[in-house]
Amino acid sequence: MTSAFEELKESKQHLTVLLSDGGAPHNFQETYTEIIDQYFRTSLQESETAHALFKAKTPFALIAVGGYGRKELCLYSDVDIQIVFGSKIPSSAKQLAEEIFFPLWNLGLDLGYGIRSIKDSIALSRNDFEVLTSVMDARFVGGYSPVYLSLVETLQKKVVTKKAVAMGRWLEDQYKVRIHTFGDASHLLEPNLKEGVGTLRDYHYVLWLARAFFNLRIPRDLEYMGILSHNEYKTLGDHLALIWLVRNHLHQLSGRKNDRMAFEYQEAIAKRLGFKDQRDLLAVENFLSGVHASMASIKSLYQSFVTSHISRWRRVKIDAHKKDTVEGLHLSQGELNINSAPTIFSNPFLLIQVFEECSRLGCHLSVEAKRLIREFLFLVDDFFRKSERMTQSFVNIMRMENTFETLDQMYETGFLEVFIPEFGNIINRVQFDAYHIFPVGRHALETVRHLKRLSKEKDLLLIDIFSDLSTPETLFLAGLFHDIGKIGKDHARKGVAITRNILKRFGYDKKRAEDILFLIGHHLFLVETATRRDLSDEKVVIQCARTIGNVERLKMLYLLTWADSKATGPGAWSEWAANLVQELFFKSLHVLIKGELATPRASHKVSKTHSEVRELIGAHMDDSDIENLFEAMSPRYLMETGPHDIVRHHALVGQLKEQLKNSQVPAFVFEAREEPGQGCWEVIFLAKDRSGLFSDITGVMALHHINILSAHIYTWREGTAVDIFRVTGPLDPIQPDETWKRIKKDLKNAFTGKLSLDYRLSQKAAPCILSPQKKPSRPPKVMVNNESSDFFTLIEIFADDHLGLLYRIAHTLFKLKLDIRIAKIATKADQIADVFYVRDLEGQKLEDAKQIEVITQSLLHQLNQR
Amino acid sequence: MKKIEAIIKPFKLDDVKDGLSGLGVKGLTVTEVKGFGRQRGHKEVYRGAEYQVDFISKIKIEIVMESGLVAEAVKMIQEKARTGQIGDGKIFIIPVEEVVRIRTGETGKEAI
Repeated sequence: MTSAFEELKESKQHLTVLLSDGGAPHNFQETYTEIIDQYFRTSLQESETAHALFKAKTPFALIAVGGYGRKELCLYSDVDIQIVFGSKIPSSAKQLAEEIFFPLWNLGLDLGYGIRSIKDSIALSRNDFEVLTSVMDARFVGGYSPVYLSLVETLQKKVVTKKAVAMGRWLEDQYKVRIHTFGDASHLLEPNLKEGVGTLRDYHYVLWLARAFFNLRIPRDLEYMGILSHNEYKTLGDHLALIWLVRNHLHQLSGRKNDRMAFEYQEAIAKRLGFKDQRDLLAVENFLSGVHASMASIKSLYQSFVTSHISRWRRVKIDAHKKDTVEGLHLSQGELNINSAPTIFSNPFLLIQVFEECSRLGCHLSVEAKRLIREFLFLVDDFFRKSERMTQSFVNIMRMENTFETLDQMYETGFLEVFIPEFGNIINRVQFDAYHIFPVGRHALETVRHLKRLSKEKDLLLIDIFSDLSTPETLFLAGLFHDIGKIGKDHARKGVAITRNILKRFGYDKKRAEDILFLIGHHLFLVETATRRDLSDEKVVIQCARTIGNVERLKMLYLLTWADSKATGPGAWSEWAANLVQELFFKSLHVLIKGELATPRASHKVSKTHSEVRELIGAHMDDSDIENLFEAMSPRYLMETGPHDIVRHHALVGQLKEQLKNSQVPAFVFEAREEPGQGCWEVIFLAKDRSGLFSDITGVMALHHINILSAHIYTWREGTAVDIFRVTGPLDPIQPDETWKRIKKDLKNAFTGKLSLDYRLSQKAAPCILSPQKKPSRPPKVMVNNESSDFFTLIEIFADDHLGLLYRIAHTLFKLKLDIRIAKIATKADQIADVFYVRDLEGQKLEDAKQIEVITQSLLHQLNQR
Repeated sequence: MKKIEAIIKPFKLDDVKDGLSGLGVKGLTVTEVKGFGRQRGHKEVYRGAEYQVDFISKIKIEIVMESGLVAEAVKMIQEKARTGQIGDGKIFIIPVEEVVRIRTGETGKEAI
């Protein structure tokens, strides 16, 4: 190996070690560039081919281009170099390339080299802007310098000056491509340090444009030519230095050319850069906030450079009819300007009015207007913040079409956090996880952006729901503030308290404010319920519906959930999760629309029952046990049962549990009591639920000539059947207890298989001269209804009543392997109107048309028999 | 060795996972899946417009274990994935020919 190679290897090794020890020079990339330069110079001196070429009067220059030309080499950057000849390329050029370049591959350098004549180089630059920008960065490394000078001069004369405008447009388009591909690095949690918007590329664009339009030679010319102020140039240097340093560490840690700063590297880089954990901010979160701030500054510098200095090639559309604006402001080139600094002094209101106008006209603020706003932010004091005019303007902005764009500019100028200081706490707050791609403040804005774009979504359901909202502004404000409590744990609850203050300061309408606070407090409610609870459990959905309270809130909550997830990151709103949330939305919607179980009255009634039950048994149970008790009861039971009955049933459940504990077989509780003055009895039956249970009970009742007038059967959560019957009294009214005793005995026999109900009942129903056969007054009817409930299939039966009919129905349903969850039995005169809420044994509704037909026919068959 | 694949409801995942780790199951793979069973999706109607819902979101868990443990594991999944009388989902048991741990190259029982 040549000495040049050994020297390079050693110097690079030294520099690499310095970097990992944290002792690398501030301008690592310049030092590294010089090491490479040195290699080329030495190897030129050592190359015999080079000597021969000079002797043969075929002079050439070694020219660094691209990042190497700009002296910006990072640890694993490509090294782009060209051998440029004044005229024709001699045949020995290839050998020269082999001698100087090939050793570098042994060092693992990514070398991009070319052998060209000046003519080739110019031709290529003319046809391809990518080549042009790279050659514009050309720097002489070694060889015969007139060749380099000639290249630069020709390029400037023949290409750059002629193509400046076209190149400007090309860069403008490239900028859009970058936004699309790499995003705005200044608020992405895994930014691309080189290509993202707000990173090194923005700076390169400034250099290229300045070279083309102002004949800039070295970066410092930006200051010397008055394009940037001394301070601006200095600050730019600091920000770039940070990005480069981070990029070098990133390269070293990933062991390759990698410019996307993924999570896995961030903690290590933050540590190397000396960031420390602070009170409630991790070192890495602190670090990322710093990187974001630098990027935001570079981005805004690029934009102001383009608007102030290079407006010639910009394509600006101006709508003539939109030109009028308010006093103190004026439109120029499609941008909104503030007339002068004194105007703001005499009318501080302009500070928000300028944004309101922006929103109304759908235009951007000029760079100068942004600067003035920043300068005068100190005028925004408590008085300003509370002033009705200001808050009204802010609310107006939330209502208008360009809300997001306007908020974005408020954010950029710092107005947002000055006007709403609570927002300042979350603006740069970074959450170090793989789920959120934006810092909290930016996430809030993104949420608003998604909500504002709702009407353009592909999902028609979203559009339909959105167009139904009576006050969309409520939703937008909730979107803006939903994460404002993210300054610690339990952020939804904190957010409610913070937002309450803000809205109070705004003097915001109280009823709407309540909606906003509700949405903020519950913004995770739908997702959490949908993914963690059983959506086929009616109680879950009813509780969800009751919590939300009305259809309007449910709709807004659904849209907020969607927008929040969309703004979180690509992983947050998968079709999988969306399906579940949508299912919960529809089920809750149906409950709310149908009303019976989730109206304010229903909620009120249930909570009244809760407190009365608590009073009645409070002394014997602690609070959490009572809560568990309510949790176990089905929602319909709680709606339809009085507090005294609940207490009684609870005691009976206690008896049942005792029996189960003593392994009593069969375990059940049976109690009958006469309803005074009604001529009928109430029977309560409890047992562990199983299919066929209901059919057995009805069978035994029929056997003893007890006619069931009405029945409510409920299933509590752990599977306890609680059945409440109203029945006609025993045939022997003198000694009713005898009958009840016999019934209890028969129930026991039926449950243990010692009694064949089918056989006994068929004997009982045998024709007898004493009970003449009646003709059915009208044909029985069976209707299967899948629309009324999301949880059950309803089977409605109308028929003439006769002894044992209910048993036959229940038994048929049991044989068909259906699970009766709720039954509403009503008998009027000699007609029954029964409704059974059933599901199959897998807990699903009956949706198969064939199965439904079988059920209907089987039931009709039973109903037609006497 | 066998692989158990179970399709369960999302909200049951934690129960099933806890039940299985109680049995000493060392690792399991969880996937969010969509599909349909006997009921082929359904339609939702909102303001007169119909929205077809083709698939239902479920969780698929996969575990590879020694054949001897399978019966117990299946029983556990069955028990934990059920709500009272109601059970929903499916469990598949599939023979596994070989397992290799990438890091060490261990095979068979050692690699599970």
